[in-house]
Amino acid sequence: MRKNVRTIGTILTFTILIIFSIMCVYPIVWLFINSFKGNSEIFTNPWGLPVSWSFVNYIRAIEVGNIGINFMNSVFITTAAVAISVLLSSMASYGIIRMRWKLSKFVYSLFLIGMSIPSYAAIVPLFSMFNRLGIINTYAGIIIPHIVFAFPISIFILSGFFSTIPKELEEAAIIDGCTILKAFFKIIMPISVSSIVTVAVINFINIWNDLLFPQIFLSDKNMMPLPVGLTAFNDLYSTDYVGMIAAVVFTIIPTIIVYIFLHDKIMDGMTAGAVKG
Amino acid sequence: MNNILGNKKYIAIFVLPTLLFYISFVFFPIIWNMYLSMFRTDLMSQNAFIGFKNYTNLFHDQFFIMSLKNNILMIIGSLLAHMPLALFFGNALFHKIKGSKLFQSIFFLPTIICGVAVGMMFNFVYNSEFGLVNKILELFNLSDFKMPWLESEKTVMAALIVVVMWRFVGYHMVIQLAAMKAIPASLYEASSLDGASEWQQFTNVTFPLIKHILKIDVILIITGSLKYYDLIAVMTKGGPNHASEVMSTYMFYQGFRTMKYGYASAIGMILLLLCVLVIWSVNTFVKTENLEY
Repeated sequence: MRKNVRTIGTILTFTILIIFSIMCVYPIVWLFINSFKGNSEIFTNPWGLPVSWSFVNYIRAIEVGNIGINFMNSVFITTAAVAISVLLSSMASYGIIRMRWKLSKFVYSLFLIGMSIPSYAAIVPLFSMFNRLGIINTYAGIIIPHIVFAFPISIFILSGFFSTIPKELEEAAIIDGCTILKAFFKIIMPISVSSIVTVAVINFINIWNDLLFPQIFLSDKNMMPLPVGLTAFNDLYSTDYVGMIAAVVFTIIPTIIVYIFLHDKIMDGMTAGAVKG
Repeated sequence: MNNILGNKKYIAIFVLPTLLFYISFVFFPIIWNMYLSMFRTDLMSQNAFIGFKNYTNLFHDQFFIMSLKNNILMIIGSLLAHMPLALFFGNALFHKIKGSKLFQSIFFLPTIICGVAVGMMFNFVYNSEFGLVNKILELFNLSDFKMPWLESEKTVMAALIVVVMWRFVGYHMVIQLAAMKAIPASLYEASSLDGASEWQQFTNVTFPLIKHILKIDVILIITGSLKYYDLIAVMTKGGPNHASEVMSTYMFYQGFRTMKYGYASAIGMILLLLCVLVIWSVNTFVKTENLEY
């Protein structure tokens, strides 16, 4: 009798898990399928597969909706911001963890506090500052905030990893005559690839998906990354449902592809602040 | 060796650029924000020092009060929705080894999807004509319950909270599952031998030993609900009639659309203070000792 109850419980739990899985994935699949339909078909046949598969919506999104340019902007801004922030964060983490100086713990805490600070408390002054510096509506003006707000979590994760590297490694290199810089780039970084990839990928996702900063620091629509482009598409072409769907698919496909290959690292990285903190 | 590691020149090379960027573009702006919030300014020529008037105006501003109320609604809704579901799924996956990794990956997927994309997806789900929700109601002959979910002041916040739930239950579940995995299996074996049921195992073994992570998770949910922006900005823009306005959308509108930058700075300060307050109070009032096992 006990065993039957246990089995029913298991089947019930499994069913709920499957249902929730479908709920998680279905909207995305629905979007993908419907991006190949025509605007009228979405009303007549919202659930089924398209009568004919056509890329027309994607082409329209690129030509009329500016999505192609948004995509290029997203790629450029995200790659630049991620590359620079990963480089600066790993150097800073190494300096904080491995080098001896009086203020190292204080500076570490300074970076960590950043994890609790909402960016809202800084954006108005940043906007004013950039305005006076004349870099509003430039790529520098959007990349710099993304870099600095990525520091706390990046330094947190990288410091955690660096503190586990045995000191013998650097000692051996320095005895052989390496400078610290060389030891860092030729020895420490290569064995830290796993953590660096983690930091890079979570920053990639956060920056690719961000809406607030581009809305504030950029105004030219040809410099806008995808999230803003999507919003504009939503405003301008709100009845072109299938065009909008194509635009949305453009935005989420890169993150989904990255997720398929790196989901372990992404999950570890994005929950690191909570689990290790 | 120590001399090399203590070499000031190298320390500067490694740390200084990052630190300088950080202080200039994060810390300094926050301090300036405090100052800026005491002005009425459009950041060009009109600058008037008005002390705390921005703050007193905010608390008499019915739209700000509404946005504060909506943030609180989101906090309560998220706590009620995310915690039990995340715990349930986390616990289920913890005890079920088969397929648990796949489920984890699937549940976490919504978290990485761009907020704007999620918003637009759910615009379609909530659409009055071909949307999923209304179609399902039709299927079950509940057509009377069909509503313009996002256009009605009564249902808009609930509809938004459901979307947030879709997006983040997986995230919180992964955090809690990670905490559960740190519990030694021997404790479950021992309690099984003593005849404990699954529910008893959960309440007496699992739950107490993950409390410290749950505390952090609660902080994440509350501060997350305070900071929420993308979804609301794209699904309703704070409408209809400010019914779904939250502090972040209101701040953006006040600052960057109507140029009332001092007012917006004040809202930013309030958001900062609230986040700090939440972290401090949860840490103070929810005592969890580190249990030795």
